[in-house]
Amino acid sequence: MSYHRGICNFCGTGCGHLLLVENNRARGVYPLPGHPLSRGRLCVRGWHIHELLQTDERIIRPMVREGETFRTVSYQEAIDYTARELKKFSGREVAFLGSPRASNEENYLFGKFARAVMKSNNISLSSDAGLEESARVLLEGCGWPAMTGSLSGLRQADFILVLGGDLTRQNPIIASEIHFARRAGAFLVTISPRKTQMARLSRIHLRPRPGTLSMLLLAMARVLADEDLIDRESLAGLVENWQAYSEYLDSVDRDEIFRLTGVEEKEVISLARKLTAAKSAFAFYPVGIQSLDRQSMAALFNLFLLAGKVGRPGCGLCPLTGISNLLGSLDMGLSPSFLPGYFPADREGSWKRLEELWPVRLERWPGKNAAACLLEDNPVKALLVVDHDEEIIRNLNRIKKLELVVYFGAYQNAFSRLAKVIFPRTTYIEGDGTYTNSERRVQLSQKKVDPPGEVRPLWEILSRLAGSLGHDWNYRSAEDIMSEISRVVPQYAGLSHLKLKDRLGIKWPADERHPEGTDCLLAEEASQKFRFVLDDRESSDRPRQSSPGQEFPFQLVIGRSNYFWHQNSIMKRTFIPRREYNALLLLYPKGFVEVSEEDARALGLREKQTVKIISEKAEVRLAVRISPDILPGMLYIPYFVDDMIPEFLHRQVAELEKYEEFFLPVRLEKVA
Amino acid sequence: MYWLEKDQVVKLTGKLARDYALFGPRRDEVSGQVIFDRLDEPGRLDLQAAIPYNPPKFVLFPHYEEILKYRYQKQTRKVTIEKIDKLQPKALVGLRSCDLTGILCLDRFFLGQEFVDEFYLEHRKKLFLISSTCVRPFPQCFCVCTDSGPAAREGFDLDLTFTGEGYLVLVGSKKGQKLVEELQLKTAGPEAAALRKKMVDESVSSFDSFALENKAWISRATNRLTTGFVKPEVWEYIGHQCFECGACSFVCPTCSCFNVEDVNDNDGHTDRVRTWDSCSFEGYTRMAGDHNPRKPVEDRRNKRFFCKLSYSQSKKYLRPGCVGCGRCARVCPGDIGLPNVVTYIRREVTGE
Repeated sequence: MSYHRGICNFCGTGCGHLLLVENNRARGVYPLPGHPLSRGRLCVRGWHIHELLQTDERIIRPMVREGETFRTVSYQEAIDYTARELKKFSGREVAFLGSPRASNEENYLFGKFARAVMKSNNISLSSDAGLEESARVLLEGCGWPAMTGSLSGLRQADFILVLGGDLTRQNPIIASEIHFARRAGAFLVTISPRKTQMARLSRIHLRPRPGTLSMLLLAMARVLADEDLIDRESLAGLVENWQAYSEYLDSVDRDEIFRLTGVEEKEVISLARKLTAAKSAFAFYPVGIQSLDRQSMAALFNLFLLAGKVGRPGCGLCPLTGISNLLGSLDMGLSPSFLPGYFPADREGSWKRLEELWPVRLERWPGKNAAACLLEDNPVKALLVVDHDEEIIRNLNRIKKLELVVYFGAYQNAFSRLAKVIFPRTTYIEGDGTYTNSERRVQLSQKKVDPPGEVRPLWEILSRLAGSLGHDWNYRSAEDIMSEISRVVPQYAGLSHLKLKDRLGIKWPADERHPEGTDCLLAEEASQKFRFVLDDRESSDRPRQSSPGQEFPFQLVIGRSNYFWHQNSIMKRTFIPRREYNALLLLYPKGFVEVSEEDARALGLREKQTVKIISEKAEVRLAVRISPDILPGMLYIPYFVDDMIPEFLHRQVAELEKYEEFFLPVRLEKVA
Repeated sequence: MYWLEKDQVVKLTGKLARDYALFGPRRDEVSGQVIFDRLDEPGRLDLQAAIPYNPPKFVLFPHYEEILKYRYQKQTRKVTIEKIDKLQPKALVGLRSCDLTGILCLDRFFLGQEFVDEFYLEHRKKLFLISSTCVRPFPQCFCVCTDSGPAAREGFDLDLTFTGEGYLVLVGSKKGQKLVEELQLKTAGPEAAALRKKMVDESVSSFDSFALENKAWISRATNRLTTGFVKPEVWEYIGHQCFECGACSFVCPTCSCFNVEDVNDNDGHTDRVRTWDSCSFEGYTRMAGDHNPRKPVEDRRNKRFFCKLSYSQSKKYLRPGCVGCGRCARVCPGDIGLPNVVTYIRREVTGE
């Protein structure tokens, strides 16, 4: 029984922990003191990771489907079978769904397997849309695809803006850092439709009408310009398209925006002043399953650039990832739009470079993400999936019709039942691997226990599979793969397992100029001149949707919470977090809808009364939960009850799942 | 009192390691921080290191412990109870007096009441405890406010006080006496008792210059908590900052709440396990039919501090439930560790 240093694998904070190992099993956990970000703290999930790690719901033997049942086979047999099957398909007929929980080494190799071996560019994650969009906005604006600041300096911040999400639930330890900064004197502002804990802790909580967040941010920018709170001279030198943006700002109808957002003008003016005066300013926004939309991200970037808070030390735009290695997965190019290292897939140069490095011939055709590949009219016939976290699988019927589904995973879940071949893989404590948190910190997690039975690491399975398909890869360890990554991904150029072994992570880019990593983006070191991100203005200064009408008077917002984190497929393998989850599920077995106290009174609703929520496309029955946390005219449904999601939410626009800002016009009816 | 030369520590731990699994403070190579851990090599013991980040609680009240193993056969409906592995004797070396006091509190909870907890008793019987006086306090400490340090008074087998040249050794039990004799330690001179007192007194008076993170006027808070004179607004202010992570309970040397679960294994048998739990969770006090006497978070916070500091609860421990180690303040994401809460209660803080 002894403690081993490691990193938590739940959310994108990447807290340091000490795992207590006894007889080859994880038997306890403790926060790692001295970790530069988590500073000896863990959240409720992190405190129970050992419960998850000792679950018996593991997959321990490779299996091949025979009719309705599975036959246990050896790894070699499973590899031969899969290789034989894969040979039947062209690259366009295969799609790859990676895991944001897998290590950089595993993700890199999964991408290489797709592009170099199967000649397929259909590669994505299931929860990457928001992060990818954020990377695009930041790349366009400042040539730097992830968090521009460093959380190490957060406690000295003067001004912190939190947009959307429920930060104390999703990334509790980052929220804690914000809380400490606030206690040290930072001016904290939350903009979110719901009264979250973060909102309660904030000096100011702004609640623009759902769908008008980007307009509110635009209004703040306009106020900065009108009140002459900007340094025009330095902007002209720093920014390429200052003139165009300035003209755009002038053309915005300021009064109209305040009318539409429902936020008071004087509040925005005082905020704009605070932002300008701050020496150190940060903004946080969620990316992942529940993310800001592109317009809001762009408006936020522009606001910070205008206020002179981009490319300066002590300032940062901080997209927060909800899953441990979501950022690393994108760094490794698990996206149809980016090759490893954020080289755009639509540029010939990116492909040429990779062809020389790998060396292998690559296909250039534009790939699609898994969801797009599974639309009815797509030619995809095979799907390879790593560790699918979610219990609910979209496009279920389409997947059932595929000729081949290969699942690589450590735990049994809904996807393993759909597979034709199942490869068990090691968990993150059974091998070495690096994980990249929200602040670009690449951390090495070392092997702490032996895997059960013959379970092999994913990189080894993929290497053997590649070997059977005629590609001699010859990796002997995850360390080997990292040394290749350091040649392919420029941000990781200065990284190796050897170097990471005696450090608590290094923030990329780590290269010759910054061998110990880089704290934040500095204007003088930037690869390009900054740009305001100007999209088609039709979409950016109009509400995202028409305001609710007579027929659908309520605005419905969807959200997550602590204990039903994602869809709970992970939480349900723990004891304490599961108990908390079950408590809610027992009270509201079919889910609930939050109604404001005012609306409940006006409509004569009681607690737990069943109501119908009706949208244009679908309806659902839910219990009422009267809540002080939401505004009149708003309804809130947490995203956690199984049948509610496919039956109701999946029938709505696909964006509903992706964007925090999205809301659905609905009406509420009592059930007699 | 006896005298242990600096270089005799290796002899002491070597001797202990023959009969016991050795636990003590060690430094983590990468973070540089101190952890109380199993010492596979006795040489890793660092008696001069700062107060460990974790209390020794996990040794005798494990985070996750199998308390029963059984096999249920579905067809025959038969249950067979299986044997659990025997516990190993353990020696805890270099215990801070706050942590030793924590163990004494756990004793009173698990052993000192109507029901005796067999599993705890089994761990406890096989312990060898060596405490170590804090000759200098650490920034987070306030054991002088909770009467649990900086030197131990009871409960140890041996107690060490570092004088700069070596250790003064106090014997607290027959087991301890036996070890001292086996090691053939020489008796410390007649001035030893006065020297130890001087070291402790100096440590106490240095709290003002070193223990700068925390102050906790426990007696005033105890008074208010016991008489109920704490405004609900104070609890609400505290509750709003609680992240509901349970860390304060998990790191507390005296917190003893647990949960029991049955875990099915792949090969057909079931482990009944006991795991740490915390009163800060909503599900902890939830009863059938959605009744929860402590539903809002501020009521749950209230409960925990009542348990630590109220007079009625202190009667059970024969002392306050807080031992002044300051760990809850370090792990708390909401910055509402016990010292801050005591301040809010004393000053009736309800906002910023």
